[in-house]
Amino acid sequence: MELLHVNIPNWSDLATHWRPEVMLVGTFLLALLGDLVVRGRRPAVPFTVALVGLTMAGICAVRKLGVEGGTVMGDLVVVDGLAAFFRILFIFTGLATVLFAWTSEEIMGKKRENKGEFFALTVLLTLAACVMAEARDLLMLFLSMEAVGIVSYVMAGYMRGSLRSTEASLKYVIFGAVSSAIMLYGLSLLYGMTGSMQFEGIRAGLQTGDVNAFGLLVAVVLVMAGMSYKIAAVPFHYWAPDVYEGAPTPVSALFSVGPKAAGFALMIRFFYTTLAAGPDANASAGLIAQINWPLLMAVISAATMTYGNLVALRQANVKRMLAYSSIAHVGYLLMGFVLLTDAGLQAILFYLLVYTFMNLGAFFFVVAVNNHLKSEHLDDWVGLGFRMPWAASLMIIFLGSLTGIPPFAGFAAKLYLFTAVMDRQWFWLVIVAGLNSVISLYYYFKVAKAMFLMSPPEGADMSPLKLHWLQYTVLGVLAIPTLALGLFFGRFKGLADRAIEMMTTGL
Amino acid sequence: MTTSLPLGTVSSSMSGQFGTVLIFVLVGFAFAGIALLVARILRPSNPNPNKLTTYECGELPRGSSWIRFNVRFYLIALFFIVFDVETVFLLPWAVVFRQLYPLPGLGSLVLWDMVIFLGILGLGLAYVWVKGDLNWVKKLMERPDEVVSSDGDEEVAAP
Amino acid sequence: MTADLIFVLLALLTLVPAVWVAFSRNIVHAGFSLLLTLLGVAGLYAYLGADFVAVTQVMVYVGGVLVLILFTVMMTRVPQNGRPRHGLDRFVPAAVFALGVFGLLYKTITAVEWAASEGAVEPTTAEIGTNFITSYIFPFEYVSLVLLAAMIGAAILIRERRPEETEEPAAPAPETEEEVAS
Repeated sequence: MELLHVNIPNWSDLATHWRPEVMLVGTFLLALLGDLVVRGRRPAVPFTVALVGLTMAGICAVRKLGVEGGTVMGDLVVVDGLAAFFRILFIFTGLATVLFAWTSEEIMGKKRENKGEFFALTVLLTLAACVMAEARDLLMLFLSMEAVGIVSYVMAGYMRGSLRSTEASLKYVIFGAVSSAIMLYGLSLLYGMTGSMQFEGIRAGLQTGDVNAFGLLVAVVLVMAGMSYKIAAVPFHYWAPDVYEGAPTPVSALFSVGPKAAGFALMIRFFYTTLAAGPDANASAGLIAQINWPLLMAVISAATMTYGNLVALRQANVKRMLAYSSIAHVGYLLMGFVLLTDAGLQAILFYLLVYTFMNLGAFFFVVAVNNHLKSEHLDDWVGLGFRMPWAASLMIIFLGSLTGIPPFAGFAAKLYLFTAVMDRQWFWLVIVAGLNSVISLYYYFKVAKAMFLMSPPEGADMSPLKLHWLQYTVLGVLAIPTLALGLFFGRFKGLADRAIEMMTTGL
Repeated sequence: MTTSLPLGTVSSSMSGQFGTVLIFVLVGFAFAGIALLVARILRPSNPNPNKLTTYECGELPRGSSWIRFNVRFYLIALFFIVFDVETVFLLPWAVVFRQLYPLPGLGSLVLWDMVIFLGILGLGLAYVWVKGDLNWVKKLMERPDEVVSSDGDEEVAAP
Repeated sequence: MTADLIFVLLALLTLVPAVWVAFSRNIVHAGFSLLLTLLGVAGLYAYLGADFVAVTQVMVYVGGVLVLILFTVMMTRVPQNGRPRHGLDRFVPAAVFALGVFGLLYKTITAVEWAASEGAVEPTTAEIGTNFITSYIFPFEYVSLVLLAAMIGAAILIRERRPEETEEPAAPAPETEEEVAS
């Protein structure tokens, strides 16, 4: 009789390494079930379930930080430093989104439908993002990206009856399908060349040396195309402005952080494991020599940040402007990829941490304004600084941090990225990034100017606007690290550093 | 933990089996073709424009047959595909179930593997059922804020 | 020799209708041509010894996805002024792009030394089933979540709404479907 060699998976992995995610799965199923039990009439039920579940999963994930991880039920998924870092980020994002969506007219307004499902789907997106950061096999890579994609398509089109939202969803689906297909082709080439689905196996296959350079370049470019779509890097950014503008604003906030950071986590693990030779200080020697990876990434990075910033200059719609600004930030983040060094990857992680706080804050402020003004247009924002002074002041913090001005966290994050690239003599890239930061100052300042410095037209409604207490709380919670990380970043930078160290040395 | 498991029933060469399938397909086409050919030879040929109308009983069709269908068809088809995929996943599991279930250490895996899988998808079925997506004649769900006022029994567009 | 002949036949079965799909001006004809293409692909899978994948292809694609595609066609609006014709201005760039992609892929396929497996062709279903329970149990369970998400998503996005809740002037309501559903 024939024999098949297999690994017997162990259920106990779920309890030891994967407990936060198990909680997320349970939360999702319970939230959905709860919504069914109340027949969709009491969105408070799934909301509460999601809130409690995400909080518990978050506490669990924080407590697991620094604990030695391992593979989960087989070899395809691993919880290591990188995954442990990112899942905290995702759960935090999910939690913030759930809280803010609860106060958003676009989700919870009187005429809205499917309110309960929104919270269940947010939990599921959080889980899918976590799995993306844990995948270490081509099958899981694709599956996890599709999972994030499917949930995203639904959430983008959540405002039924809004043409903008439907259009956003449709564009997202079509671009997503095309880029998935492109990436899948690249993955199949990699598998065909190396005969392995595991990232480690692919590296081993590539390092035997007799790999065709042209074929490898095609494969890497195709895979990169699929991932560029997920993180919205030029030239696969087309969907981003329309989707961010059309989707309900809490969803845009989630998209600009969750799936994007998950894409980065996947890219870090995939490209580092397959293309970089190991924890080698002299990384350019360790990189697979057949393709000019640094130049490829540098060009994508420079193009992405320049495009994002230049187009953002011309936007009058704040939501759309933030969408372009988030494209620009992807450009900065990609700088850390140029050499696949530890320092670069650590800088990416720290930047993503800071970016999560400041970008969520900026988008959530738009939600709060949108509830009252039903407009994201800058002309309608004139004088907002006097109508909602506290919230607008917090927005200034987020905008300042997004620009990267000194006391804020964005500055520290950019500093790390720039030095990581500078260390490897990529001066032109640093100069481009510096110029881009200057450009971005202009359009971020435009928002601040409209809110505080411009005088509103005669007879404009200047009545003060009140925010929900939850909104003040969340914005405040986001603003604290945006300020504090700019001054006391050592400890959190250490977190990012350890995450990368754990990924590169072990597992 | 790595182990070696007995693998399925050893059967004859697979290319031989697909060869049988191919012969079946060819014979099927040939059978239909021959039948049509024989009919063509035997039948009387008597063309008449009336034979080409849509309804031979004389009813004239109005308008185009190309109309927009109800989106409900699409929803049902989508659900069908989900469960179609589910059966595809069930099949290989069913093939090895009897062989692997008695093996030490595998019993719980073999069983719970599929129980969880089906349970999660069962929740999906419950979802579309409770939300009324499976009803062909729609009873639109009342809004949360109208729960008290009406029973929401209005029926819409019953075809 | 016979094997080569079968391959060529299957490749033709895949490609010829595919060309028809791309060039047909009638979207219904294109949809039905896709049926033959998908069957051809299933045949190619069987030819390569992937029996389970071949059956899946028939069940899911021919049996399900194709039906979905045809439903989609049935739900589109009736073309008003005939079907659009595209001139050379569309055709030439598309042809150049397609040929470029073909050249790229051709060069890749011929240049790379593939890590092919040299094994006898054997039934795969039992092996796949065993893997579902052991090495690949994680993606197997994960798929059920993805399918659940797809189901809920489809229901949320497609479910009919109460008409008065449309905020922006949307397309006119779909025509009656009495004739269809009776």
